[in-house]
Amino acid sequence: MSERITIAIDPDIAELVPGFLDNRRRDVDKLRALLAAGAFAEVRLIGHSMKGAGGGYGFDAITDIGARIERAALAADSAEIEAGIAALADYLARLDVVVGD
Amino acid sequence: MNTAESRQDAGKVLLVDDDQDMLKLLSAWLAAAGFTALTASSGSDALRQLAAARPDIVVTDLFMEEMDGMTLVTHVHAENPLTPVIMLSGSAQIPDAVRATHLGTSAFLTKPIAKEAFLDEVMKHIRPRSRAGDARFGTNLIYRSDVMSELLEQAELVAMGDVTVFINGETGTGKEVLARAIHDASRRRQHPFIGVNCGAIPEQLLESELFGHEKGAFTGANNRHDGLFLAADGGTLFLDEIGDMPLGLQVKLLRVLQDFEVRPVGAVKSVPVNVRIISATHNDLEALVEKGEFREDLYYRLNVVPLKMPRLAERAEDIPLLLEHFLALHAQRAGTPKKRFAPDAITYLSASEWPGNIRQLANAVELCATLYTGDIIPLAMAQRALRQRPAQMKTLKDAKADFERNYLVSVLRISGGNVANAARIAGRNRTEFYKLLNQYDLDAASYRDGGDEQ
Repeated sequence: MSERITIAIDPDIAELVPGFLDNRRRDVDKLRALLAAGAFAEVRLIGHSMKGAGGGYGFDAITDIGARIERAALAADSAEIEAGIAALADYLARLDVVVGD
Repeated sequence: MNTAESRQDAGKVLLVDDDQDMLKLLSAWLAAAGFTALTASSGSDALRQLAAARPDIVVTDLFMEEMDGMTLVTHVHAENPLTPVIMLSGSAQIPDAVRATHLGTSAFLTKPIAKEAFLDEVMKHIRPRSRAGDARFGTNLIYRSDVMSELLEQAELVAMGDVTVFINGETGTGKEVLARAIHDASRRRQHPFIGVNCGAIPEQLLESELFGHEKGAFTGANNRHDGLFLAADGGTLFLDEIGDMPLGLQVKLLRVLQDFEVRPVGAVKSVPVNVRIISATHNDLEALVEKGEFREDLYYRLNVVPLKMPRLAERAEDIPLLLEHFLALHAQRAGTPKKRFAPDAITYLSASEWPGNIRQLANAVELCATLYTGDIIPLAMAQRALRQRPAQMKTLKDAKADFERNYLVSVLRISGGNVANAARIAGRNRTEFYKLLNQYDLDAASYRDGGDEQ
């Protein structure tokens, strides 16, 4: 499953996208640490933010994964959170960004 | 960002969100569309920026730690009830949307949000650009102070709305001038603007003056009289000193406002009228209501949009402009060359208390311009013109402090918050200037346009 995913982003925000994606890569590590500590409230917050911002940057998948993590954290479902984190890591690894319409 | 800079005139947006990625995203969208975006990462940060930045719209996230969006809306509206607020929320909760609407937010949007939808909402709700120096509205009003420009911004917004307006302000502050400006900017501008001073006319006369009377309705009523409501039909009726209206007439006025029809004295039939009411008083109407001297139901009918006309001393920055205006008026009337006030006379007049407000200032200018035969009216003459009300003068110390503070604010504004330049203008070194700013609790940073930009 190493098929690449190409997303075309809005030129107006092209400069912001690398920083946004770096933050999500950081979220992967942060989420793993928080999950290990059982800090569901913090996990939920990160999921909530990802859900809110992802689609705006052009990454609907990040919104979907964020919503999934938020829901799972609310239910304190560690396995589902783990799966959400894995999905995020996988998506980021396969992602190629091009500027354009 | 350069392209955005050149078109940056669409308005100033204050964005509030504790998520930096959201702030950056929305800022970039706004900048590309020609807006100036200011960002705050918390509610308290937003409140700190609000007074100095005076945004044309606030966009806030609902769910923030420390202070949530709902609380922020309340604070924003306490500062200026007409600032539109758009609320963003991570989840589409109907109770939240309902509560936000009740609190006076203009729109409630759910994240993730698409660029077009977001910009559409901002453009739809943003209030017209603040317009100090713009002559469209209130051309008869002379000002450059913030307090007046805020007031006129509100007045201009309500002008088109056709709502009932209530103006409170001391005698001589120009309440009728404001009422007329509202009328002139309204859809009723082609129809009459009629003003009546409710305190100056005896009760019986006022009744027939307002509502009209039939021929023979009372002794001396030799002709039918339409009354001011009918005369103002389609236009605006300005009821000045409404607080002095006798209770008996208040009931009749209330009935007109409820039914949109008047019944002339002695008539059997009512006549429909279409009139916008702007009322004004120098009294504290709420206190009159409490004392039972003014009907509470009428008070609420009239006080739909309250506007507060500031005292002249509260807008001391405007005094030099007003002096110029009245000097020009005098010259025109007298057919003489326009005189000027000496700089120290202007300083003195700007720091005076003016209990009689603009009316007193106009009289003082008239007196000076008439009595002084030279071209430049000196301080002594200005003092003499004001000495008639010595009891109401401030102490020199207070007057100096007021002047100094106003002066520092003006210098900061002129220098765009640059302390080095401000100090140079004031003829002080930076250390001394900082000391002065501290003394008056002024923050240079809040006069910098757009906060940290550049």
